[in-house]
Amino acid sequence: MNSNRILNIVLAAYVGVIFTFIFAPILFSVIFSFNSQRFPTIPLGNFSTEWYVKILNDPDIWQAALNSLIVSSSTAVIATILGFCTAYSDFRYNFRFKGPYLALILLPPTIPLIIMALAMLAWLSKLGMSGQLWSIVFAHSVLTAPFAMAIIRLRLNQMDPDLESASWNLGGSEWATMRYVIIPFCKPAIISGLCLAAAVSFDEFAISWFVSGLNKTLPVVILEIVQGNIDPQVNAIGTFVFLISMSLVILAQIFFVYRQMKSTNT
Amino acid sequence: MPIKKSRKIDIYAMTWRLPIIIWQLLFFVGPVIFMIAMSFFLVKNYRMMEAFEFINWSKMFSKNYFWDSYFYTITIASISTILAMVLAFPASFALAFKASEQMRRWAIFLLIIPFFTSYLVRTFSWFVILSEKGVVNALLGYIGLGPFTMLNTNFGTLVGYLTLTLPLVVILQTVTMANIDRTLIEAARNLGCKPLSTIWKVIIPLSKTGLIVAAIFCFILSFGDFVAPFYLGGSQEPTLPILILDTTKSGQQWPRAAVVAIVMMITLFSVAFIGIALAYRKKASK
Amino acid sequence: MTKPLVVFKNVQKLFGDFVAVKAINLEIHEGEFLAIMGPSGCGKTTTLRMLAGLEEPSTGKIYMNDQVMNKVKPHERDTPLVWQSLALFPFLTVIENVEFGLKMRGIDKSERKRRALEWLEKLDIIDFSERDISTLSGGQKQRVALARSLVLEPKILLLDEPLSALDAHLVIRMQAVLVQLQRELGITFVYVTHSQSEAFAMADRVVIMGNGEISQVGTPKDIYRSPQNKFVAEFVGRNNILSGTVFSLTNLGAHIETASGTFSVNLKTNKLVKGQKASFVISADLVHLSHSNPEVQNSVHCKLISEEFVGSMVTLFLEDNSNQEFKVQMQERELSKFDLKPDSDIWLSWSAQSAHLLDVS
Repeated sequence: MNSNRILNIVLAAYVGVIFTFIFAPILFSVIFSFNSQRFPTIPLGNFSTEWYVKILNDPDIWQAALNSLIVSSSTAVIATILGFCTAYSDFRYNFRFKGPYLALILLPPTIPLIIMALAMLAWLSKLGMSGQLWSIVFAHSVLTAPFAMAIIRLRLNQMDPDLESASWNLGGSEWATMRYVIIPFCKPAIISGLCLAAAVSFDEFAISWFVSGLNKTLPVVILEIVQGNIDPQVNAIGTFVFLISMSLVILAQIFFVYRQMKSTNT
Repeated sequence: MPIKKSRKIDIYAMTWRLPIIIWQLLFFVGPVIFMIAMSFFLVKNYRMMEAFEFINWSKMFSKNYFWDSYFYTITIASISTILAMVLAFPASFALAFKASEQMRRWAIFLLIIPFFTSYLVRTFSWFVILSEKGVVNALLGYIGLGPFTMLNTNFGTLVGYLTLTLPLVVILQTVTMANIDRTLIEAARNLGCKPLSTIWKVIIPLSKTGLIVAAIFCFILSFGDFVAPFYLGGSQEPTLPILILDTTKSGQQWPRAAVVAIVMMITLFSVAFIGIALAYRKKASK
Repeated sequence: MTKPLVVFKNVQKLFGDFVAVKAINLEIHEGEFLAIMGPSGCGKTTTLRMLAGLEEPSTGKIYMNDQVMNKVKPHERDTPLVWQSLALFPFLTVIENVEFGLKMRGIDKSERKRRALEWLEKLDIIDFSERDISTLSGGQKQRVALARSLVLEPKILLLDEPLSALDAHLVIRMQAVLVQLQRELGITFVYVTHSQSEAFAMADRVVIMGNGEISQVGTPKDIYRSPQNKFVAEFVGRNNILSGTVFSLTNLGAHIETASGTFSVNLKTNKLVKGQKASFVISADLVHLSHSNPEVQNSVHCKLISEEFVGSMVTLFLEDNSNQEFKVQMQERELSKFDLKPDSDIWLSWSAQSAHLLDVS
């Protein structure tokens, strides 16, 4: 009994250590962003917003933030459309080569980003499409479509398979059924998919760095600052990016989990 | 049951099936195939020329630094995988068997957060924390230890790798172990199996598939990451991703970078394939 | 019952190598309540789905109003279906569900609303019109599903085990609602079910299906009293089935020799030859009990195995010394006269008119 309790305490403490390790860099990054020291350490320096003032007055950062916004929102829309089409095809139809078909969409996230970055850079240069914001969007949509597909496919699994036939039976053509039944049913998952794809795209730096040319996104700016020297601006930008990504993720969760709870209640 | 379609081309079905095929051919299959082709191109006067020569392959394979880098990358990615699996296990075990359902759900939600924070920023944060006068050394100084050099060492690289992989490994391990049928564990205990041997003889075999999948992901992530070895490891011993970076960004030697990338992909596919085969073979023989 | 509204002509349906429906022929009349009944996997739902256009016949033709329907898409037909799962749209309110079919037909908003409200009123669910589907009870959902189909004012309504998810007391209520609706509207109902009580309680005619074939078509009484073959006799239950060979023939009937004895059976249209194999059934409620040998032609000496009470009805399960099982059904108060104990000896008897010959199959 007693040894069991000691074991439980030790295990709980160990979980604490692991979580500390995982969250230490995130936490310190936020703390450092409000710290006056250029080389932050313990004891901490004074509270300061100078790094935020600095980035807010930097037009390059604003441009990069705008670029990031354009890239991640375009990526989200394209990836979610692609993900939806594939999820629906998988749900509705059986066809030959379905395995390779699904592999085609699910494989990209398992390939190291640096390899995707090199391949995309070479290919887009060959097609004369590199060095633009759109180049990043093309690559990011390949990367994020699987996430949107997975989440929409899960939602379709919850659908009564008779629902689609019921709509046909009541006089809806396949297209009308798509518009009035399938899409409304998937709406929460579609919104979650948009948020997740946007969040992943907003943080991605390797591919963006390779193919963006002069159109830098925020993560690329961070990468370049980091390459230079220690500059706590990075922490300020990081905290800013973190807030945006987290709100997207939480939004996605709310839409998906809320709906799921609602449908399990019935 | 979906209705049988007539043999004619079904415009409706194709509207949903084709977009991803076209898109992935253009922006996924295209790039990968082109990269393979590119590994046979020539570079003259800093310009790439389409050709079919094995020179890039023979050049890379004859270089000692390539093989050094290859084995170093495999070694450190393997160490990172083993470390992550071992370090994560007690925590996952506690979350799977000791924590309440609700606590477990919260823990997993927390562990998802790091995926959506910039890995770069986290690495930069470690860079500051681990530096000569950083937080860790300052804390150790209070108890009279150090200072230690942690940056630009393998230790630094591994800290970076673990930052990337540990959340995922804990999630996968926890979920797999939480899904084990509790009655099997109770049965083992009831039959006189001691707690530690229950872990070895019941829990690990039952969660083998999930554990192997976690290890594969861990290896893929570590093997392909260039940020940790570059910023925290100081790239004294360049890993393959850094080799790609260097040859692409500075040397304009895209074809040689392609060779490295292809070798990496083949290695990763082999590891994944062997791992999956292992996971399912054990399952079938039980 | 006038001219046939729907005709199945040699309709066959294959799924890969599996024959779901084997070349069936069937006429469905205007204004009738037709039940298609059979065990699961007998092809009854596939038959219904072919009528709705959700499956295309592999061979044969389906006519509706003399038009071939095989290639007509589901949404171009007027064959609304009430689904076993109900398949109500969870993201729409009650009234939006009812309006759905009208919306698909391009009817304008105010007209849609007027007609939907009319049906919600008729089915007594008008108070729930703005509610979410998930807040309704099983019986209320059932009514919404009916309203959603009937608002289209179809000539034929298809129902696929619509009551299977309801509690027993609600089933009886809904049966009454359905019968009343059908009589009132005068449209054709095609009702698929595995439940005998539902089919016999509501339908004008019953189609019994087994293994993808139609085994018998007739009124509930026909099927109950004169099952055509062994499959129907067994499926309907409450029948004693005896098999043997024809021993002798007279003008009036036949004597059939079985392991339990030789019994006389009246001949109707059946043609028999001496020495031929034959089976016959006696309804469980037409068998009499007695403590001593009744000294009549059709009697068997049995032992009581068990009893089963359903309400005031009791079914006795008995066995004779050749291990042939017999069932006897009677009122409980009638049974109390006999004072039976397990293993007690008893004689069964029935009149030759009660025995009904089956088609050889």
